[in-house]
Amino acid sequence: MQYHSFLTRRYLRRRWAPWTAAIAVALGVFSLISVLAVMEGFKLEMRERIRGSLSHLVVKGGALQGLVGEDQILETIRSQPGVLAASPFVETLAIYKVTRLDHCLVRGIEPVQESEVTDLGLYLLDNKEIDELLADPYKLLPDDRLPSSAEEIDNTFSLERRRLILRWKGKGEGFDEESPPQALVVGIEALRSGRLAMGDVVQLSSYSPVTFEPCTGKFIVVGAFQSGVYEQDQRWAYADIRALQEMLDLWDEEAQDMRISGVSVRLEDYSLAAVAKQQIEAEISRRMELSTIDETAIPWRPSEVLTWENQRENLLQAVEIEKRIIAVMMLLIVAFAAAMIFLILMLLVIEKNRDLGVLRALGASRNGVVLLVLRQGMLLCITGTILGLLGGWLLVENINYVHDTIRDLTGLQLFPPDIYYLERIPALLRWEDVALVCVPTLVFGFLGSFFPAQWAGRRDPIKALHHE
Amino acid sequence: MNDPIPSLPVLIARNLQRDFTLAGDKTLEVLRGIDLEIYESEMVAVRGLSGVGKSTLLHCIGLLDTPTCGELIYRDGESTWQSPGISEQNRCDLRNRFIGFVFQFFHLLNDLDVLENVMLPSIVSCTSSQWRKKRSKVETRARELLQRVDLEGRARQAPGTLSGGERQRVAIARALINNPRLLLCDEPTGNLDTRNSESIHTLLRELHEELGTSILVVTHDPDLANRADRLLSMIDGKFHD
Repeated sequence: MQYHSFLTRRYLRRRWAPWTAAIAVALGVFSLISVLAVMEGFKLEMRERIRGSLSHLVVKGGALQGLVGEDQILETIRSQPGVLAASPFVETLAIYKVTRLDHCLVRGIEPVQESEVTDLGLYLLDNKEIDELLADPYKLLPDDRLPSSAEEIDNTFSLERRRLILRWKGKGEGFDEESPPQALVVGIEALRSGRLAMGDVVQLSSYSPVTFEPCTGKFIVVGAFQSGVYEQDQRWAYADIRALQEMLDLWDEEAQDMRISGVSVRLEDYSLAAVAKQQIEAEISRRMELSTIDETAIPWRPSEVLTWENQRENLLQAVEIEKRIIAVMMLLIVAFAAAMIFLILMLLVIEKNRDLGVLRALGASRNGVVLLVLRQGMLLCITGTILGLLGGWLLVENINYVHDTIRDLTGLQLFPPDIYYLERIPALLRWEDVALVCVPTLVFGFLGSFFPAQWAGRRDPIKALHHE
Repeated sequence: MNDPIPSLPVLIARNLQRDFTLAGDKTLEVLRGIDLEIYESEMVAVRGLSGVGKSTLLHCIGLLDTPTCGELIYRDGESTWQSPGISEQNRCDLRNRFIGFVFQFFHLLNDLDVLENVMLPSIVSCTSSQWRKKRSKVETRARELLQRVDLEGRARQAPGTLSGGERQRVAIARALINNPRLLLCDEPTGNLDTRNSESIHTLLRELHEELGTSILVVTHDPDLANRADRLLSMIDGKFHD
């Protein structure tokens, strides 16, 4: 009815108190939108970086038994439709001591093949880049950096480079240029933290899963990488797969072959990963059941096929759950704003009790009075939501500019790159998140308005009109 | 004075009773079988001491309250409405178009200016699209009424800036905006000084004669009561001759 909008305008135009509730709603929505957008940005950035350092699929053996029949497994996988490349790897936890005792996850790889299944080529650093990244602890590789060529990757692990590094670093620990230690490429954070340095000869110690005996091997730090995932850049190291197999004594007597931990697989289209995973699983199982005299048979070992998301499921879920928890916690701000709407409308109903009685006497229905109060509450809520959305969107669009301005004015680094490992704050506003914010806000606003409106409708007009 | 026995009643009240339940299951009988007929263009005054049920009678007739028992019949031309049995929507429509209220304490809305207060009953009855079509017509009528009650220059003033007498004039203009068949006045001069009371009495009588609206006025004021076509005395919830 006309009087709803007419009186709503009149009541809200001349009072500032109700607008505090709209501001509270706006602040709540603004905070939620900003936080959810930044968390979504973080999540996507993290997923992208993890995805780059892992292959689309991994065929893994058991932790102790691994897989044997590397050639047959690779041939099996590569023959599947949709498979672009496959590369074997060996993986082990190791401890080492240079300046102090530390641990790392060593991945033995075929460097060039590995670069075909992961983004190793994109984040393997050359000497100049290593120097630059060590000089500036916040520096990251540019997004448009060209990947290293197969030759450059191969060269990083080559005998010539090991000799060169050893010569540059100076002989020691019984090595000479003719027989340098095996190559080890470490994460840039291991160098930045000072635990390791280029040219360090490192003795890695681990346990052989075959003999269960301790085993050691000498490696020389010949290069570094920056995957963009802080944990990996601190703890991961790449070595040549054959050198690591030898160190871990992975010769399997039964199969008369070297064991591998698994095979990394790159697909033409990751969206078809589920289908490819099933096909590979089925074909490997089939070949493992063939007679050993069959040339295509793969010696039986327990195995599983995982997508990269399966491998980091816990981490990805943790981030998603964290986002949801923060959203729920921040919805409390909106609930508080709705409580403000409730209180302000209750006060308005008390203040305007006589007016509501007059309206009833002039022909307004009980429901009309309910709608009048409800309309005011929803107007405040919707106005607050729109303002909050606009503010949130503006902040998300200019978040790095705002951050830089605050830093320039106050010297305060709100978003230290060495902690978050990101040069810029990633933020992405999704429609789903906008709905996740707006729908509960409007529901809270409705609830906050509904009860005062019902109360107003139940007021006795005679009592309201009886006294001045 | 108008003809004291006009042709047809606009309101018939039969055996109207209104009881209130008090603490301890006691019942207070405020109206005890009221019979009343108000004819077209008739002005009826009800006098009585405080607490005899005058306002309760007005609230029941004005459809703000529901009688415990009894019957109310409203007539507008060929149409009649009989209570009990009137739907909530019809009650609202009758309060809006058939009945006009004038209260002792004026009850103007302070957030609206004088003109908007006068237009309020029309605003209440319209949807937004209806209002867009009717607005200029209603505004013209509201200005005419303000002119009639000698407040033509006060249309855009806030009610709070007016004197008591002026506010009651605005309230009377508001009550007449929808051309009601029945004007219910609850102590319209009860809150005014003698000079303003006299002026309101004269205005009510003049409007009654000009517009032909039936008026039921509840008052303590003998001057106003004596200007009515018919005077009823109320004692203990009943009319007495």
